Amino acid sequence: MSATTEPGTKSVPLQITEDEAAVYDRQIRLWGLEAQQRMRNATILVVRLKGVATEAIKNIVLAGIGTLIIMDSENVSEEDLGAGFFFRDEDVGKKRVDVAKARIQSLNPLVTVQTMTEPTLLEAESLDALVMTVDLVCVTDFDREGLFRINEVCRRFKKPFYAGGTFGLLGYIFCDLLKHDYIAPDRSAPKEATKNIKNTLVYSPMYEGLNHKWSGLTRKQTRELNPAVVFTVLALWEYESKHGRLPDDPKTSSDLDNFALAFLAKAEVNKQAITAIPRDLIETIAVTAAHEISPVCAVVGGMLAQDILKALAAREAPIANFFTFDGSTGGGTVCRLNMP
Amino acid sequence: MPDENGMVVREEVLVPVPPSLSATSSLASLSSLPMSSSSSTRRYTHARAVLGPDLAARLPETKVLLVGAGGIGCELLKNVVMSGFGHITLLDLDTIDLSNLNRQFLFRKKDVKQSKALVAAKTASAFNPKVKINPIHGNIKEPQFDIAWFKSFDLVLNALDNLDARRHVNRMCLAAGVPLVESGTAGYLGQVQPIVKDQTECFDCVPKPTPKTFPVCTIRSTPSQPIHCIVWAKSYLLPQLFGEDEESGGELDEAEKQGENAQEIATLRKEALAFKAVRSALRTPPKSENASDASKIAFEKVYRNDILNLLSMGDMWRTRAPPTPLDFDKIKDGSFVLEKKSSTSPNGVPPNNGSNSNGQASGSAATEKLLNGTAPTASTSSNSSSLKDQKALSLQENLELFVSSTNCLAERIRAGEDTISFDKDDDDTLDFVTAAANLRSAAYGIAGKSRWEVKEMAGNIIPAIATTNAIISGLIVLQAFQLLRKSYEALRNVHVQFRPNMPLSTIGMSPPNPECGVCRDTYAELLCDPSRVTLGEVIDGVLGDNKREVSAYEEKRLLSDPDFDDNLERTLESLGVTRGKFLTIVDEDGDYEAIQLGIGVLPPNHPHDETIIFPSPLPSPPKKVKVVAAPSTPPPPSRSTVLSKKRAAPEDDIQEAPAKRARTNGNTTIDNTPFTPSKKRKLDEDGLIILDTLDEKVEDDDDVIILD
Repeated sequence: MSATTEPGTKSVPLQITEDEAAVYDRQIRLWGLEAQQRMRNATILVVRLKGVATEAIKNIVLAGIGTLIIMDSENVSEEDLGAGFFFRDEDVGKKRVDVAKARIQSLNPLVTVQTMTEPTLLEAESLDALVMTVDLVCVTDFDREGLFRINEVCRRFKKPFYAGGTFGLLGYIFCDLLKHDYIAPDRSAPKEATKNIKNTLVYSPMYEGLNHKWSGLTRKQTRELNPAVVFTVLALWEYESKHGRLPDDPKTSSDLDNFALAFLAKAEVNKQAITAIPRDLIETIAVTAAHEISPVCAVVGGMLAQDILKALAAREAPIANFFTFDGSTGGGTVCRLNMP
Repeated sequence: MPDENGMVVREEVLVPVPPSLSATSSLASLSSLPMSSSSSTRRYTHARAVLGPDLAARLPETKVLLVGAGGIGCELLKNVVMSGFGHITLLDLDTIDLSNLNRQFLFRKKDVKQSKALVAAKTASAFNPKVKINPIHGNIKEPQFDIAWFKSFDLVLNALDNLDARRHVNRMCLAAGVPLVESGTAGYLGQVQPIVKDQTECFDCVPKPTPKTFPVCTIRSTPSQPIHCIVWAKSYLLPQLFGEDEESGGELDEAEKQGENAQEIATLRKEALAFKAVRSALRTPPKSENASDASKIAFEKVYRNDILNLLSMGDMWRTRAPPTPLDFDKIKDGSFVLEKKSSTSPNGVPPNNGSNSNGQASGSAATEKLLNGTAPTASTSSNSSSLKDQKALSLQENLELFVSSTNCLAERIRAGEDTISFDKDDDDTLDFVTAAANLRSAAYGIAGKSRWEVKEMAGNIIPAIATTNAIISGLIVLQAFQLLRKSYEALRNVHVQFRPNMPLSTIGMSPPNPECGVCRDTYAELLCDPSRVTLGEVIDGVLGDNKREVSAYEEKRLLSDPDFDDNLERTLESLGVTRGKFLTIVDEDGDYEAIQLGIGVLPPNHPHDETIIFPSPLPSPPKKVKVVAAPSTPPPPSRSTVLSKKRAAPEDDIQEAPAKRARTNGNTTIDNTPFTPSKKRKLDEDGLIILDTLDEKVEDDDDVIILD
């Protein structure tokens, strides 16, 4: 799953036992024993423990990854109880990872769970040292510049990178899997004769991806990708970058509107498809972006975990490369940003 | 959020109470105000911001029913608990199995064999002490879960895994007028469907694919695929040896009627008789030194004598390869040789095509090789697996497994078990079906299957993962929010699919199918004492002044029609029409839609001499819609098309039809009655018509993956 190491060439040190096979029966029937063994041998770093991370962690721990490292330095707030099912009322004020650790561990005793709370770990050299030791990095509910920076470190160490988060009813996943080989059945073949085919995807780093030009797409192609949600997410990141926090006030909607307009123009988005973010979406997101709700976290965290597992197993096509979710309808689309 | 609590509390008070909320519930939310400055509302700060103060204020008073606490159910329960639905009823009849733990995250190893509903409720209630969860370990089809019970919920969310229960809940929700969100997952795929009576399609508006069936002769004498041998071992041989002692003539009579080969069927009848001897051998205690005696008798019968019988019918084998009779002793000592008949290997080693039966990218040696250019390790390259159950069995191993599992099962019968039927989690039956199917495959030159594969094929196991269930359950709750807001225009069917640029696709709601045999019926509740009211009384009372010729059904059972009035004087109870069931009144001329009377109980203080409360006003079913087929997009055939296809007969022939219909004394089921209330669906189930799906747009390229 990285540019230099061919997937699978690394020896598979841990074999699935018969007991594990009994627990994992229903999923081994889906993705096979080798895929399960690849997951079993993976170490994953998850940065921040909010709603999306809670969901994604639950899913990858149940699936049976080898080691989970969670990095979060914050304390549980009362608001965190809304989507954080690893937290209880009496945990408010304590470190998020400290109270969540045992509950995460109890989901699957076969997984090693480690936690880190020092914020300095995300600074230059210590981040390098951390990324070096893991197989995949997943950063959640993070600001844009921070994502760029961690993505860059992952690139340097040839580690797959995932970013995911929610803004109220909206959510996103960005991934940079460098050069990724995977196999998937050829679903265009007749049902009885499905064959597995090897494919390769070449990814783009996030800061380049977000500069992607949308010119060349027809009105229909553009609309299919739900550009209103994509550019709302870009505008939210821009707002956060300018103001140091997410918008949480109806008065921020004009700011957001302008940011989105600037991105739409810069990306040369087909004007027949969209000229501005719909008024109601902008007004809604201005007061909801800073909030998370359980069902949206479940969808985005589910998609995020599923994609991490696909990437680890080198089975099935992963997201390429920017997924956005629109919780007002339930629709989720993927646009290819700066990918061939 | 500075100042937010005060603001929001004020809004909660000012928000007009939606009509669906009772006076008591709005009082309840007022009375909870003094507590709202603490964490009890800061927990919901985010939900209030995202959902709006109106919906957020209603959630604590909302009564929701979750049907199913399995893969989707656990995830769904978590979402509704976290979102703050105040009154949650969770129902499941199942207990926890080890293989659930990879996705049903509310369960732990120590909970295995406990009630799913009870354990899930206990685990999830810790997530949010503000909500009340009422777990029920039971079957949704039990009589006490009648229309009145369904009416006590604002919303029903399905998290079921079988068609029968989903259909039942669909119908109960239509009858009770409660909105439903329907859902399902299989592997990476899933879908969510909100259902509102008269606003959207119901679950049965679009026909569902029916389970695959095989012709009797394919299973019994001419198998050509591993699945044929597995079905034979599971549904024929196992019941013959260890099931109920019954004459299995019915199936053969039916096959004969369907026009299957008469000579072949005569042979199969003879074969059936010979089972009596084998059954009695299995039930006789073995002499100690000859423990394999009975299993050998069984073996000789099915793998030698029956095959020799079949071989004697030369006609059958002119166009297909004849089977080879197996020799118990020679297989045992390793001297038995099967001639190669085809490219498949009869020794039980399956050809490896690198993809499992679900067409997913499973990890076999072949796929590893595809990915790496080399097979992963020498030890796995030949056998693709290090799991015991995934190993291919040799003929000899299959024989040993046949003997040992047959003896185990016989021992259980002798120890007092009445009958034994296949259960994928019953190791003895799985061993037996694996061995028996593989031996038969060997005789027919068909590739064998591992125990692992047989478990999946015989047990109808659908692979399941946490992520798809999590995604689907999130989508269910998002649709539930729209239902509670009554924003019907915002509802969507959502599909989780393989499509690189649209993994979650949404489709706007379609109106009800005017031909639907389920949601186009007129539903009403009939409160009565079924032991004291007669069928005739009910029919007369319900029709009121609109006297017309009708017939009455319970499910597929015909209870009365204009030429068949024997049951009119009988009580509903004696006809099996009791609480929780539906009495269906069908217009004989087909002018009106059917009336569905859901049977409920009389209120507790009802006067004893009044045995029935008719719905008020009486149900007045609309005239049936006659649909004219548009040439461009063919709709499903109308009821009249179905009938005319079934019997293209002159008018008077049709009028005779009711007299020909089989009748019931209330105890027997009549299949294939053309006038059943949901005839379109049921005829479809019986394989009589094939409909063009209404949702072609849904399916356009779901299965196509675009590769670069």
